[in-house]
Amino acid sequence: MTPVAARALRRLRHDRPALLGVAVLLAMIGAAALAPWLFQDPEAMDLTALFAPPSAEHWLGTDELGRDVLARLAHGGRVSLAVAGATAVLAAVFGTALGLLAGYHGGRLDALLMRLTDGVMALPLLPLLIVLAAVDPAKLGIPPESMGDEAFAIGRIVVIIAAVGWTTVARLVRAQTLSVKARDYVRAATAIGASPGRVMRRHILPNVASPIVVAVTLSVGNIVLVESALSFLGLGIRPPLASWGNMLTGAMTVVWSAPAQALWPGLAIFLTVLSANMVGDGLQRALDPRAGDAEF
Amino acid sequence: MIRHVTSRGLQSLAVLAVMSFVVYGLMGLMPGDPIDLMIASDPHLSATDALRLKALYGLDRPWTERYLAWLLQVLQGELGYSRLYARPVLDALLPALGNTALLMLTALALALTVAVPVGIVASLRPGSVFDHAVNLVAFASVSLPTFWLGLMLIVVFAVSLGWLPASGIEDVGGDGGLAERLRHMALPVATLALAGMGQYVRHMRAAMIGEAHHDYVRTARAKGCSPARIVLRHQFRNALIPVTTILALELGGLFSGALITETVFAWPGMGRLIFEAVMGNDFNLALSGLLLATAMTLLGSILADLAYAALDRRVSYR
Amino acid sequence: MSPHLRSLFAALVLCAGAALPATAQPETRAIEARTKDELVIGITQFPATFHPNIESMLAKTYVLDMATRPFTAFDPHWKLVCMLCEKLPTLENGLATREGEHGVALTYTIRADAKWADGTPVTTEDVLFTVDAGRHPLSGVSNSELYRRILKVEVRDKKTFVLHMDRLTFDYNAINDLRLVPAHIERPRFELPAEYRNRTAYDQDTTNPGLYNGPFRIAEVVQGSHIVLERNPYWDGQAPAFKRVVVKTIENTAALEANLLSGGVDMVAGELGLPLDQSLAFEKRVGKDWNIIFKPGLVYEHIDLNLGSPILADKRVRQALLFAIDREAINRQLFGGRQPVARTSVNPLDGVHADDVPTYRFDPARAAQLLDEAGWKMSGSVRRNAEGAPLSLELSTTAGSRSRELVSQVLQAQWRKAGIEVRLRVEPPRVFFGDTVTRRKFPHMALFAWYSAPESVPRTTLHSTMIPSEANNWSGQNYPGYVNPRMDQLIDAIEVELDRPKRVALWHELQQLYADELPALPLFFRSDAFILPKALKGVTPTGHQDPSTLWIETWRWQPDSDPVPAPTEKSPSKEKKVPAKKGKP
Repeated sequence: MTPVAARALRRLRHDRPALLGVAVLLAMIGAAALAPWLFQDPEAMDLTALFAPPSAEHWLGTDELGRDVLARLAHGGRVSLAVAGATAVLAAVFGTALGLLAGYHGGRLDALLMRLTDGVMALPLLPLLIVLAAVDPAKLGIPPESMGDEAFAIGRIVVIIAAVGWTTVARLVRAQTLSVKARDYVRAATAIGASPGRVMRRHILPNVASPIVVAVTLSVGNIVLVESALSFLGLGIRPPLASWGNMLTGAMTVVWSAPAQALWPGLAIFLTVLSANMVGDGLQRALDPRAGDAEF
Repeated sequence: MIRHVTSRGLQSLAVLAVMSFVVYGLMGLMPGDPIDLMIASDPHLSATDALRLKALYGLDRPWTERYLAWLLQVLQGELGYSRLYARPVLDALLPALGNTALLMLTALALALTVAVPVGIVASLRPGSVFDHAVNLVAFASVSLPTFWLGLMLIVVFAVSLGWLPASGIEDVGGDGGLAERLRHMALPVATLALAGMGQYVRHMRAAMIGEAHHDYVRTARAKGCSPARIVLRHQFRNALIPVTTILALELGGLFSGALITETVFAWPGMGRLIFEAVMGNDFNLALSGLLLATAMTLLGSILADLAYAALDRRVSYR
Repeated sequence: MSPHLRSLFAALVLCAGAALPATAQPETRAIEARTKDELVIGITQFPATFHPNIESMLAKTYVLDMATRPFTAFDPHWKLVCMLCEKLPTLENGLATREGEHGVALTYTIRADAKWADGTPVTTEDVLFTVDAGRHPLSGVSNSELYRRILKVEVRDKKTFVLHMDRLTFDYNAINDLRLVPAHIERPRFELPAEYRNRTAYDQDTTNPGLYNGPFRIAEVVQGSHIVLERNPYWDGQAPAFKRVVVKTIENTAALEANLLSGGVDMVAGELGLPLDQSLAFEKRVGKDWNIIFKPGLVYEHIDLNLGSPILADKRVRQALLFAIDREAINRQLFGGRQPVARTSVNPLDGVHADDVPTYRFDPARAAQLLDEAGWKMSGSVRRNAEGAPLSLELSTTAGSRSRELVSQVLQAQWRKAGIEVRLRVEPPRVFFGDTVTRRKFPHMALFAWYSAPESVPRTTLHSTMIPSEANNWSGQNYPGYVNPRMDQLIDAIEVELDRPKRVALWHELQQLYADELPALPLFFRSDAFILPKALKGVTPTGHQDPSTLWIETWRWQPDSDPVPAPTEKSPSKEKKVPAKKGKP
């Protein structure tokens, strides 16, 4: 283990908020991942028991179609967390690649890429997401047969959010690359004839990893919120596939008669965003070379 | 300095031109055009009607051609008519812009008024109970879906307590006075301010703590400056740099609006207008609205640089 | 959940709110807060334009029907009545006469007291201008069907004119689409016809009183927020009870309900109001404080089947699909029994409805038998054909319609039990209506609704010449691709059959054919929920495309004890039930 990672881990072990965040996130991911084995069929409905109160059979009661709320929450978590995780990683990969290229090569390429970043950053987020969500996949040459399935529905949201979410990472990585590039060992590697690809991979990437990790963690929470906002506008994950966003949106119309319907997905979103932020924050502290050990 | 600003400005114009092309193209890729929708909703429309209307709205031409026509028109200072509202783009845009600016500025001011002092106090004793509490509340504020928060505020303050109106910008037939305006603004402003407050608190706190480690603070302390003076005169001023940068980047938001909050509170602002325009294939209106917001963000980032330089110089003079 | 736990949840979700007792009865609060001569209506859509003949949009019709009157309309009893004319022309009263081989000449007289709200009388000048504009290819008038059918307008005097129409159909005297625009204001703006849609006073000068001839005129428009209507001082019909009517737009239905509860709006329009499930929950909770009217209407929720698909080309499969779903149970459990199950596209309230067509009551055994006969045998949990291909269908529908989302999920579950695998595809309306159904891109099934008028002939939806294709530029609405010569004959015959009993017989055969062949699966006739304060009287839902606001002058505030006056008709009404054209989806 590198000294940086070891120090970070040591600090993290004493960072109670971050540990709590990790615990909650792990519990959420675990429940979601094991949902098909732990919980009932989320699509099994019972039209005679709509909005049933919690019982031994349905721990959190049933929803507007008599489906088990707990099962839907867990399966919705699979979708929401998968979307959040995949989007964060995709955005990070894209942002890192562009940031590395811009920072390492500099000059024209740098200016071009950074202005592109400016442009995407400057466009208002939600309207742009709306335009993206309404783009016809068929016009982009995607076969219509594949559009019906779940993977496509999730993939579509992932690509849409990632398409505007990569800019933060790109800027971070570029800035970090610029500073690392000037260090002696990178110059030495370049001088002995290492290819740019190798230099970026072996020497620069490890040094820009920590801000990326922090940015990715912090973005997870944001993405969960964006997904719920898209659902609210009718452009997110669509039924019968459950996501926390569309469960919450659906519950809004019955918020007076069945308030618990809005409580559970709302709570799930809240806890996820909260713990992702706490973890991200903890990571930031742990990886910060300037901060002392004693702060927390 | 002037050279820097000019070159950034020119680059921004280029970015704007590219973005207009991209957005126009994306809208062109959306399935269904207004006439198709009309055929769907009106059985009396025949093939000839459809052709006639498409030609009338210029929709029978490829989008690249329409984009060029639009660009030429805009370069001559003519924004055209909104297809949806059958009036000049500016007539549709300006009232919404006013509503949005009012809402967003008030919310921003409120959020900052609370966030800056709270962030400073929390930064004085990192790790204290107060600091933890502030952190938790700040996290909570950034973790709530806005539409949920907005509806809850309506449920409590408009329905259960009956203190405030649930939506709209003014009483119908009211005097349109300040008190009435404020009552209508209270809930949407509270929603936006609560949702935005968290990040400002966190930025403020982080910036203050970052400054505390610097040598000049230690020097000032060693010279016997009072703690209050150190915090306010030295740390605060420098901590403003990152916070100002973040604020400047928010400038675009004042012009693009807050779609979700506007929807929940039936507030006729830019967010809704742009949404309707995009969904209704109102190219002229959508492009004008989106590009205005984009331009403002780009302007904001230039201003942020300027502010940074200005604040930084004062620091280096000391 | 115990009552204790339940209130805890409520308190958690609603913060302090739900736990606090409401400070006042919402309804009393609403009325006390306002003078009684005002009415605030909440709807979910804001009209984009106000020109009566450019673009069609329900919100616009809802608002304009208080301020302008069409020539003829269907009343709440689904009878054709004169709104702006003195008397309906009929062949019997001699005001309609046959002309040439197919044509007809109709003599209308504008009501003597009809005036624009600036005092100018409504005259034949306005008729001439409206028809001129309607026929001009560049005017932007979207619906030109009526204007195409008018061969000539012959003016007798200031008030009387004769329309020479190209065809004598059974609904010859219904000119519901003729909405006059004032020549004295609009003609100068029509000088450049291509610019007319951007220059019309309806959008440039919306509050000009001269644009309106109804009991109200539009007095103020706050874009995206609300519209204020005030009395038309020159209105000579029954005087409306309100000085002002305000129409507020609140798109989010949860927020709309909050406005109703907090007194922000007095009532929610059924035509553009809360979805049914939300209304039912509202009724269950606070229904006793409100007057809630559920009105099933001419909105026909159904599933179009793409007959081009080899699976659905087999009639037995289509019938099995319908036998396999329990529409009664859905209606009972999800919609509180408020949405009548449809047998065909013809509404039971319609005079030409046939009672003896097959109902396809839920019958899993019959469904299984039909599928077996069609070669789809059960294997495991899904049916397969001889080649081993699974019986797998795709159901497309629109996003944003909550009840449709719920129904499609229940249908999916019920079909799964019958061994039919159904994939759901939910699309935004603009994609769904702009592309998927209009270009017949749905592979198997498309769930949506038709709005129609009383006795509307299903020519555009069932005639074989109305199948949208590249060749006819995607016009027509026979999305299933249904071809049956007998159906074509029936439609052609019904349109020109003036003898009512004979026409009813044709209608019966049409419904028999429809129910047997099932080009589409009939589901429900949608119900609209009108949520009205108890003291508001006289609101009569129509159930068809002419909204209740056409009779706004009969609405009034009235304590419960007073007798309720039935909505009156302003014109002599000896007219028989006369049909109109097909509506919009």
